[in-house]
Amino acid sequence: MKNPFFAPAALVAFAALVTGCGAGSMKTSAFASDWQSDNGKSIAAVRAHLASVPVPTGRGMALGITKTGLIAVALDGSSHWSYSGVVDSRPSIAGNVVVSTSKGHLFALDAATGRELWQLPIADKHLRGAGDDGRTTVASLGSDAGGGGIVVAVNRSGAVVGKWAPTVDVGIPAVLSDIVFAPWGNQYVSALSLTTGDEAGRLLARTVVSRATAIGGSIYFGENTMLRFDDAISQAATTGGHEVKLAERELPGKPAWYPTGTRVLPPEAGAPDAIRFYARPAEVGDKLVLDSQRFAATYFRIIVGFNEGDGALRWVRTLPAEVIGGDAAAGGFAFCDVNGDVWLTAARSGGDAGHVSLGSKIEGCVVDGGDFKIAGGSDTGTLAEQITHAIELGDEQMATVQRFLLRELGTNDDPTITKTLLDLACNARTQPDVLAEARSLLASRRTGIEYMIDALKQHYDFLSDVLRAPPVGPLADALSAVGEKSAAPLLAAHLNDPSDTPDDVKRAAHALLTLATASEFDDVRTFFSLYRATADDDALVAAVIDAAKILVHLGGADGVEVIERAVNDPLTEPVVKQAISSLIPAKTSDVPHAATRAMSRR
Amino acid sequence: MLRRSLTAIHITLFSAFATLFVPAPDAAAKGAPPKEKATETSSAELAALDKALKGDEDSVVGALQSIDDGDKVAAAPLVAKLLGRGGTEKVLEAAMKTAQKLKVESLSVAIAPYTRHRSDEVRRQATRALLKTKGPIAVTTLEQALRSPDAVVRGTAASGLGELHAHAALPELFLAFDKGVPEAAAALGQLCVGAECDQFIGRTGRVGFDVMQTGFDQILFRPPSEVSDDAKIKLVGKLRELGTDEVGKYLSDVAERWPKDGSKRVKQVIDSAAHSVGGGVKQ
Repeated sequence: MKNPFFAPAALVAFAALVTGCGAGSMKTSAFASDWQSDNGKSIAAVRAHLASVPVPTGRGMALGITKTGLIAVALDGSSHWSYSGVVDSRPSIAGNVVVSTSKGHLFALDAATGRELWQLPIADKHLRGAGDDGRTTVASLGSDAGGGGIVVAVNRSGAVVGKWAPTVDVGIPAVLSDIVFAPWGNQYVSALSLTTGDEAGRLLARTVVSRATAIGGSIYFGENTMLRFDDAISQAATTGGHEVKLAERELPGKPAWYPTGTRVLPPEAGAPDAIRFYARPAEVGDKLVLDSQRFAATYFRIIVGFNEGDGALRWVRTLPAEVIGGDAAAGGFAFCDVNGDVWLTAARSGGDAGHVSLGSKIEGCVVDGGDFKIAGGSDTGTLAEQITHAIELGDEQMATVQRFLLRELGTNDDPTITKTLLDLACNARTQPDVLAEARSLLASRRTGIEYMIDALKQHYDFLSDVLRAPPVGPLADALSAVGEKSAAPLLAAHLNDPSDTPDDVKRAAHALLTLATASEFDDVRTFFSLYRATADDDALVAAVIDAAKILVHLGGADGVEVIERAVNDPLTEPVVKQAISSLIPAKTSDVPHAATRAMSRR
Repeated sequence: MLRRSLTAIHITLFSAFATLFVPAPDAAAKGAPPKEKATETSSAELAALDKALKGDEDSVVGALQSIDDGDKVAAAPLVAKLLGRGGTEKVLEAAMKTAQKLKVESLSVAIAPYTRHRSDEVRRQATRALLKTKGPIAVTTLEQALRSPDAVVRGTAASGLGELHAHAALPELFLAFDKGVPEAAAALGQLCVGAECDQFIGRTGRVGFDVMQTGFDQILFRPPSEVSDDAKIKLVGKLRELGTDEVGKYLSDVAERWPKDGSKRVKQVIDSAAHSVGGGVKQ
């Protein structure tokens, strides 16, 4: 596939590209900056002109970028090919061709076989993106630094059939019959005539437009909202035409549906490729919606599926390696990972719908769903189980999305969620951010009490490999909120466990104010005695003061005596002494009443 | 069951500690062993000490020093009550030292909760004190301390269980040893019987020799009533098989330290093994 035949037509085109004149060079009204809105008339005329022209769809394929070239696999696994030649920009899969740039040349390959269709020189330009209608390929090229762009249309024999060198940055173009759609200025799509080179019409959109792309037999314009090129296109500037967008979700890494089309993307994938939204517009009835009513977001190894309307989390899938590319197909998604595996995922359930392999590790990946249909999908458990699986990944890079998933998990009242959170909070390998989130959620849980009680029975135990104390503080908050008296002895035991943090001890003591019974008196008194003169931390001081209140409340005369002695003992921490002195009743005979009053003052 | 219920142990220790709050002035003294050095302490003196122990930090530390200096065993209940009330770190450390000096078993109950104090120093002092005050409470507490997050406490507890001949703690000591508590080696060597010693010796090669030899030492120098000559000879044979320089040096060292009235048979085997491995026995 290297050094292919360089068609004479391409030589002519090269002259055109370099000199800006001759065959294919068009001095036109295109991209005029003084254009006045025509209220959609001109673009409506273009639509009418193309109404009966079918938009070809690709067959569904994944293209891997390696250090030495390209490797491809059809999503149905039916074909596999490779191409030798280092690419210097992110390739585009456009219909049935693959387009990229390499060493000053723009080239196109047959997407089914990898056979080179044509190649032409482009000097120092690189590919921004390309479109194809089965006969003509259109490519937007630019320099790395931006500006200096050209749009070039090439037929299957390699002849340049159209070329524009606008002063504006043109995004990813599409082509249909004799019209090239060139998005620019974030709001315009110029419909350029391949016959005259003139602008046959222009779309003014209300949303950001940096790409034109063919999906499922229609052409769409957009970036974060996709506007369909159909009979309503004339209303784009007013009512918006037929458009589809994703429900707003604040997600880690701030994924985008598509990257801006006016930039040249490097061949190697970066973080923005690992953090992306995927969705496919589809028509249901006469409404433009998302295929399967789902959109997906990737965050390295974790993929989450959302409901179209409200953006509610529907499924989570965890892959073995970082996702660096993908696309939405009909009924599902295809995600490509760094190992060269392409994972097919059912859109509705997130279930595993099979996978194909590119055969080796890759640096970048481009996937085109085309008209490939993803069906089935294995049962991957409940949403809670899926989230749990994702959260249990011991991968530091995943901590941000794991926290997000934890918050989602926390909104579910299922008692087993409490167990999941406890497992995380008790696991010594859980990362600090995830641990903090799990603890925070546990404090507000009101279900799964039995799991909380079981967790409180645990203490740090070197011999039994219990190397992290349970989340005593959050459990104390939760159990006191539901008035779970059976937690009292367990919380009291934790007061005297040095493995628990001072904050946990503080919260345990506070919970005991409402939960403790006479059975906890001894533990509380021991705690008070050990720390009334050694508490060197605000949280511990607060715990000691609460312990004093409990002693007065539960211990009657004995409790008051302990506190009285502490108040009169020069060794008691002054701050403790000051706080507990008010707990002593005025007269010994009034003790029970005074103790009650002391408790009611809390 | 190997793993004892932490909650059960906790209840035992802390309930016992709670008894310190019940006035029982003679209770602590009951566990005091007869001590030649112990001096008579008058009730006036005890009353003065009691008063001083309720004073400020200097007063309390001074009183504890006085109990130390005079080896006033009769004041043990006062020390127990002080620990029951609690105090500053300085006071607690002084009280632990006093308890170590008095060696009164009944102080163990007052010391036990402090092995789980948040202050490293208090916790460690308390664990060390239990080695001196001894008794069942000390043993139970030290067993519990093997589970501590504090490596120093774990090590002290392991050593202490050996010193206190707590044979029942052997399973926990094996567990601790396998989890990297080196001090458990000596304790295992002190406590093992028959197959248990074989179990310990079986760890040779998996654990550094410098750690293992602390246990071997204990086994080899224990009286024949506890470890038979045959068992010792078997151990020496096992060491001889290792054949390393450090084994040779160790066996030579054992040969030098071998008691004059110790088993001649075992000595002969040690000498022979040391020669064979190349440790160079000094005659």
